[in-house]
Amino acid sequence: MTATLFLQLAIAGVSVGAIYALVALAIVLPFKASGVLNFGQGEIVTLGAYAALILTQLALPYPVVLVSILLLGAVGGIAIERVLIRPIVKAPEFTLVIATFAIGLLIKGAISIRFGDSPNTIDGPFGAEPIVAAGLRFNPTALWICACTALVTVLVIAFFRYTRLGKAMRAVSVSAEAATLMGIRVERVYRWSWAMSTAIGALAGLLVAPLIGVNPEIGQLILRGLLGAVIGGFTSVPGAIVGGVSVGLIETYSGVFVGTTFKNLVPFVLLMVLLVFRPQGLFGAAEIKRV
Amino acid sequence: MKRLLVAAGAALLALSLPAFGQQEGVTADTVTIGAHGPITGPAAYIGLGGRDGMMLAVKEINAAGGINGRKIVVVFEDDGHSPTKALAAVKKLVEQDKVFAVFGVGGSNATVGAVDYMKEKGVPYYVSIASAPPVTWPHAKNLFRGGTTETARYGELYAEFLATNYKAKRIAIMSGREEYPRNEGDATVDKLKNWFQITPVARVEFNINDKDFTPQLVEVQKANPEVIAFFGNPAEAAIAMRQAKELGLKQPFFVGSNMVDPSLVNVAKASAEGVVGFSLIPYLPGSKADDMVKWDAAWKKEYPNAPAGRPNNFDLLAYGDMYVLAEGMKRAGRNLTTAALISALEGIQNYRVSPVATPRTFSTKHHIGNLALVPMVVKNGQWEPVQWTSTRTSDILTRYN
Repeated sequence: MTATLFLQLAIAGVSVGAIYALVALAIVLPFKASGVLNFGQGEIVTLGAYAALILTQLALPYPVVLVSILLLGAVGGIAIERVLIRPIVKAPEFTLVIATFAIGLLIKGAISIRFGDSPNTIDGPFGAEPIVAAGLRFNPTALWICACTALVTVLVIAFFRYTRLGKAMRAVSVSAEAATLMGIRVERVYRWSWAMSTAIGALAGLLVAPLIGVNPEIGQLILRGLLGAVIGGFTSVPGAIVGGVSVGLIETYSGVFVGTTFKNLVPFVLLMVLLVFRPQGLFGAAEIKRV
Repeated sequence: MKRLLVAAGAALLALSLPAFGQQEGVTADTVTIGAHGPITGPAAYIGLGGRDGMMLAVKEINAAGGINGRKIVVVFEDDGHSPTKALAAVKKLVEQDKVFAVFGVGGSNATVGAVDYMKEKGVPYYVSIASAPPVTWPHAKNLFRGGTTETARYGELYAEFLATNYKAKRIAIMSGREEYPRNEGDATVDKLKNWFQITPVARVEFNINDKDFTPQLVEVQKANPEVIAFFGNPAEAAIAMRQAKELGLKQPFFVGSNMVDPSLVNVAKASAEGVVGFSLIPYLPGSKADDMVKWDAAWKKEYPNAPAGRPNNFDLLAYGDMYVLAEGMKRAGRNLTTAALISALEGIQNYRVSPVATPRTFSTKHHIGNLALVPMVVKNGQWEPVQWTSTRTSDILTRYN
């Protein structure tokens, strides 16, 4: 295998991995703030893709579509949290997980009824012609996804580190009860963590649509997103990104070196091995218990 | 008076119940047809098209007086493109709904799950869309294949086209791991070997819903083919064609017949230019031919809020096939029985409701309704016919001699 081909594979792996990373990030956020694992996040991505399809068909400029998708995603997240999650927030974790799963199914069903299952697509902001540099070919939309993923990651890290709301989310994630005693409005924290995560999920839908098309099955990305989140440590923002990109790279390289039959299996096998030696994932902190 | 009332009650009861020995699913004024297809999941574009095309035909047939005075009633089950769900669907239709016949608008992956059961039950099973071999080979008296053709026939035409139109000696095959695309790939490989002594330089597989085809394309690239034959779904083909371009692959793509559909152009856009495949229908949706324009208007009147990409080929296939089944029931006469329907269908020669369908022909020896396919190419975002005619005699029908 030539060095060029090896690097071309890396580009393909990172391109698909950046998509997984965004989904992983959208899963990690509400979990980090409220301990709720959102199994409906895949369908939020699908919803974002369909919203992008509608807005694009209205011939709106890409920046307008981008901002609209972020706003719609945030509003959708607030609505889900207020109407569906808050009434059952004190229920056992398993109940909450199933509730998010049901939300995902509802969204998927509604999309299928309204739009049918025929595949569709939208154009990327920078066209579809590959950019050739140093003998390597780059898909402009994939580069755009990588740039957006990097920017979102930096913004989310800065948000958690430097803003009052971000710090409040970190406090709530450690102990909602203690945070309440410290004067933090836990409900407000939950609301904004959902808004952020669904905005990122919807953004992922807009970004991936030109690459993988628009159809009700986009939500299956959640499996790869979860894989990336677990590899990264589940509560770590950089971990979600590293985990997601790792899954993309592992799939691509294992497809070439191990065979296409096992390409989808290898990341799961490696995850099992990783969890044996490092149960907290790559970036997660090991749980410390007072004895 | 009391006796009169009892007698009248008994007469009413007798009239309201099917007479002893009467055919299941047939009453004085209705004939109930069961149907199954995927209306959820990644193959829903097949079942939604199949269901809507079928129902449009049913509505027209009923509006025109029905079948010898009986209206068609349809009970539809979602098979989710899964063989186990398809089996559950036909079991319910036969045992619980007690339908007269089952109309299949499922893909091959699901249909193979229902075939053995339907053979065992002997209920007429008219398969409109699935091309899986077990539907028509080995021959079963109660199973019919309509607008689609048997996978082996695809293999014959694909191999001949690849070897004679492209004049290719180096052919790469990419196929999905599910029933239909794998069968298409196998049948093509078989005929390339047996008819043209060509062994594909690469044969790679992928999973349904894969988002990255780079590993498969790298293997194809290493084999340096003259043409790439791709068998799967439009969503997968669109990604693979884009990634092929990114990897610098310039070879033309040839696709399976299920992708010769506006949805491929819709989702692959510029990457679809120059793609070739075989169509099961004379005109594709969107064609400006008079008959298609008329049909399209009728379809859109019935389904005014349909999403982009509809109607599709499966609407047309199922529409044409429901008319064939209805024609069979009409010819079977007022005394509609399984045996009468089978006999009537076996007498159908070159029947089609209008030029939007290919003519179907059955005989007592074989139940493959359609052996004719039309090669098409994507030019300026539209599928257009390619001037090419098969010159080889099909091996398919020789099996039934």
